[in-house]
Amino acid sequence: MSQLRIVLIGYGPVGARFVEEVLPAVEDGSIALTVVAGEDVEAYNRVLVAEYAVGNTELGAMLVGDRAAAEAAGARVLLGVAATSIDRSARIVQLDSGEELEYDRVVFATGSRANVPTLDGVERHRRDADSLRKYATQLVARDDALPAGITALRDLADAERVLAAVQSRKRIIVLGAGVLGLELALAAAHAGAQVCVVHHGPHPMPRNLDRGGGLVLRAALRRSGVTVVAHSRAEAVAFRTDDDGSRRFDMVVTADGKQLRGDLLVLSCGVSPRNELATLAGLRTAVGVVVGAGLASWTDPHVFAIGDCAQVVPRTEELAGQRVLPGAPSGLIGPGWRQAEWLAAHFIASVTDHGSTDAAAPAERDAIVMLKAEHIDVVAVGDISADPWDDDAVHPRRRVSQWADPEHLRYVKMVTEDGALTGFVSVGMPRTAAELTLLFERRGELPADRSVLLRFDGPDYDPSADADAFAPGSTVCWCNGVTVGRIEEAAVCGATTVEGVGRETRAGTGCGGCKGRVAEILARAAETDETPSVTA
Amino acid sequence: MTRSADTHCPYCALQCAMTLTPTDVAADAAADAAATPVTVAGRDFPTNRGGLCKKGWTSAELLRAPSRLGAPLVRGADGVLHEASWEDALDRVAASLRGIRSEHGADAVGVFGGGGLTNEKAYLLGKFARLALGTSRIDYNGRYCMSSAAAAGNRAFGVDRGLPFPLEDLDDADTILLLGTNVAETMPPFIGHLAGAQAAGGLVVVDPRRTATARLTADGKGLHLQPMPGTDLALLLGLIHIVIAERLVDLDYVAARTVGYEAIRRSVASWWPERVQSTTGVPALTLRRLARRLAAGGNVYILTGRGVEQHVDGTDTATAAINLALLLGLPGRVGSGYGTLTGQGNGQGGREHGQKCDQLPGYRKITDPEARAHVARVWGVSPSAIPGPGVPAVELLRSLGEPGGVRALLVHGSNLVVSSPNIANVRERIAALDLLVVCDFFLSETAALADVVLPITQWAEEEGTMTSLEGRVIRRRRAISPPAGVRDELWILAELARRLECTATFDTEPELVFEELRLASEGGIADYSGIDYAMLDRGEAVYWPYPRGGTGTPRLFADRFAHPDGLARLVAVSVRSSAHPAPRPGELTLVTGRLLEHYQSGAQTRRVPELADAQPEARAALHPSTAERLGVADGELVELSNDRGTVRCRARLTTDIRPDAVFLPFHYGDEQAANLLTSDAVDPVSAMPEFKTNLVRLARLIEIEVPA
Repeated sequence: MSQLRIVLIGYGPVGARFVEEVLPAVEDGSIALTVVAGEDVEAYNRVLVAEYAVGNTELGAMLVGDRAAAEAAGARVLLGVAATSIDRSARIVQLDSGEELEYDRVVFATGSRANVPTLDGVERHRRDADSLRKYATQLVARDDALPAGITALRDLADAERVLAAVQSRKRIIVLGAGVLGLELALAAAHAGAQVCVVHHGPHPMPRNLDRGGGLVLRAALRRSGVTVVAHSRAEAVAFRTDDDGSRRFDMVVTADGKQLRGDLLVLSCGVSPRNELATLAGLRTAVGVVVGAGLASWTDPHVFAIGDCAQVVPRTEELAGQRVLPGAPSGLIGPGWRQAEWLAAHFIASVTDHGSTDAAAPAERDAIVMLKAEHIDVVAVGDISADPWDDDAVHPRRRVSQWADPEHLRYVKMVTEDGALTGFVSVGMPRTAAELTLLFERRGELPADRSVLLRFDGPDYDPSADADAFAPGSTVCWCNGVTVGRIEEAAVCGATTVEGVGRETRAGTGCGGCKGRVAEILARAAETDETPSVTA
Repeated sequence: MTRSADTHCPYCALQCAMTLTPTDVAADAAADAAATPVTVAGRDFPTNRGGLCKKGWTSAELLRAPSRLGAPLVRGADGVLHEASWEDALDRVAASLRGIRSEHGADAVGVFGGGGLTNEKAYLLGKFARLALGTSRIDYNGRYCMSSAAAAGNRAFGVDRGLPFPLEDLDDADTILLLGTNVAETMPPFIGHLAGAQAAGGLVVVDPRRTATARLTADGKGLHLQPMPGTDLALLLGLIHIVIAERLVDLDYVAARTVGYEAIRRSVASWWPERVQSTTGVPALTLRRLARRLAAGGNVYILTGRGVEQHVDGTDTATAAINLALLLGLPGRVGSGYGTLTGQGNGQGGREHGQKCDQLPGYRKITDPEARAHVARVWGVSPSAIPGPGVPAVELLRSLGEPGGVRALLVHGSNLVVSSPNIANVRERIAALDLLVVCDFFLSETAALADVVLPITQWAEEEGTMTSLEGRVIRRRRAISPPAGVRDELWILAELARRLECTATFDTEPELVFEELRLASEGGIADYSGIDYAMLDRGEAVYWPYPRGGTGTPRLFADRFAHPDGLARLVAVSVRSSAHPAPRPGELTLVTGRLLEHYQSGAQTRRVPELADAQPEARAALHPSTAERLGVADGELVELSNDRGTVRCRARLTTDIRPDAVFLPFHYGDEQAANLLTSDAVDPVSAMPEFKTNLVRLARLIEIEVPA
């Protein structure tokens, strides 16, 4: 069997996982792997960039790639080198270093870049096929340069800019109230920065939360010291000229005329797949690179895509003719990792003859969204727009349960079909959220009494507390399994000291930790004994 | 006049000290026909401080229990067990073994040992297998117990001593993290040593059940984490992630005493707290608080039990716990450390002296030529006379009666048709044997299947040594004579060896066997060569390794770990997604475990009236909300089933268990045996089976009253 030459474009966490999984076949020589990394750094976990940006962690703790191991196994890892074009007929990837790489399979793991919204004062590029052909060197594998004082939060360079602002306790304006923006806002506020979140929806995380959850979250944000400006569409940015002559961000101007001043503007307006190389190579792209259930491009069976840049659309005749395709990359790491694992296994199976994989990568369910913040717990998934009082006739099997306690910043909504969870929102109730997450992922049935799930987060949650400590059946001595009732019995029979009870029942003759409680029970028994003797 | 004997409890590895005083039978018999032949009293000792649990207090009940076997039993042509003389029974066994061996080879005879055997018995059993039987096929029930922690300890530290420090050290702890252990029920007097951590608010229990131990954390005494069964490894990787991300690592310690940090860092980068929350069900904030508490300084211990170890990824999970301890700089620091809580009475000594398939005395590797040469010298044979490595327990049992497999099995100190995973299969394999010989006090479930049953002495009737969970060697002493018809296993092995014409020495005096064990262990990892009965009888606190002419080692790792370079190994481990399939709708995760009243397979404790009365039958613990969905009320009969088997028992409703799980104690036999449902898939490193995350369906059984 001849060697399969694979070129992987992109070395983020998904690319790194692919490398790790495919490595055994690289080691035994059946696969030749070249990684075109783009960034000049070992693959790191992008999920932790906000933590890094506020100084909570360091790069070393974020690294997920093991370049040394990959190279030891025989892979080439080209850090700081970008792919500039692909000649699919010749099966060649062209690099900005001038090198050309021949391939049998090329895998896109190029991820996504932060969106730059339409703002007066900020230049923004289209990346359609025509623009790409005209301005390839500016647009391919490069992000738009942003003016001083404005940054996205996607890579380490962005994070360094934010970190500088946080450390000097500057005023930070976060544009957008999605998960990433809020994570940064909370972490930065916690680290001592002044933070203001500006967004145009009615409440934060509008794509993930219903109104109840969103409003509770907004209250929680405010209590954490984050200013939230809702219903405000940013229209323009204005700049100021510092003493050193440099021009920097000064304020955001909203559609209704508000002027919000700050030292740093962080754009957190979603992400878009880095598609341009695929578009330029004539591959079908929609939101992302369009791939079928087997993660291969609709256009070219030698091209694959995984992670944030891949839009999985099982190909049908009907869909093939449509201009607009359903779905979008999830933007979450879990599905990307699963795709990387599956594709690596698929390639290995193809070169080893024996062993085949499923024809399709595992289908993903709605992805669970969690806000990573130390003091606010928000988890949501699925369609949670339904209301408990909705007309059953429309969705006869759907049921909605809800719990709202805005004062204490707690809110839960559970949507079920036939008892199984199809969506939920949980704010401020971490144990409940964790249990609901497990139930959702397993398609588990909720307990008939939904309030069981809420009670996990009660400060007094203690399943054993329903037992009265002095109830006859309550265990006092764990070593010897002696109950209150048995000790009272012994007391009645004349065992009036802790030692006497010990001889009679063995209570207190193990570790001895219960001797205090035995004494208490004896004291109570003595009291009740005395009462009748007084009246007699 | 009667003389009392200072000895230790017959049950768990805590080995509580007790004094047995023979009852003056002549005086008491008339007054109390039910009097036990000895009176049990707790004895002051650092581990139990004079206390005993219910099992210990009632242990003497078994000495003259009516069901105790008083003579060998041999299965007759009628298929029924009949009493026989020792001469006849041993002749029959020896003849049968010789026949099988000559026809099918030495490896057609297997030995299955136990972690309850004294050091002397365990040692001699290993020697008997290798020399008298010439077989490599020996393993033991400790495979179901300590194998994962042992493999992890050996890998990380180069040595496996359950607690590398005296138990009393725990008294001064500020924080103790208990991972998957329910000491309040399994070794109750242990919890006295948790009081310090409780007072400091630092007792942390990780268990999917709110066990008696988890309850010890209530009222501000600590924290109970209730992860989804099968997610312990993710939980630990999450804690390590936080320790690294928040810069809580003891970098000086890591640099000076370990290797492998970079790989660890990379292996946990993808386990951020919120991801761990969504995998385990434990809130991210709880994880952060715990990680910070562990790193806050003071005296900190991390202890693991079977709950995290009895898994197909048990070795990796124990390894992750060790990694966490190493990153925090705990092992080898006085007042802190990592340990595993050994379960069986001699679970420590029993895993050191040659009952394991790949091991020779002194925790030596059977594949190591130097080790073979040393042991061969002590045994007076050529190294080539010692067989090579055998196969671990599950594989050994799978081979019973199969072509090329084991055709005769000798069982010592184990009730394997209750304690092994996937019992239906084990029963089937046992039925395919040509010969099954079981040594026991009672007609256990396994003994009932035997061709020959040999009745043996109990703890109060014998001398020997045990090695407790803290690696301390202690004396078992004889208080009374055994009943006329029972024999000591040392004698049985010697008699069989003689009949098999083995010329090697098989002493029957425990002290002589121990003297030989000293020589055999000399220079090994578990070196006992400096220990003798006299010093134990003087009450010296003796911890191995104790080389000849040297001193004992109460605390290991003060200066170095046992690898040649003295450094501990940080071994990167990862979650295998296939290890613990999550329950599908309609399924529950079966967690098996223990009750206060019973010990292991229950062969002993189910025969103690007071214990049996308290817990007469298996009951499946079920969350009320799950029970409601299934239409099950407290005390009703239910059926738990999967494609391996079916268990029928009563339900017990409790909010102490997660709604997606069901708990069964494994102490019961027949149709209540929890291990009918467990999988015999094993850990790739330790060969530990999966006892804790099997999937089952549960349904209510309709009781039909049959008219009289």
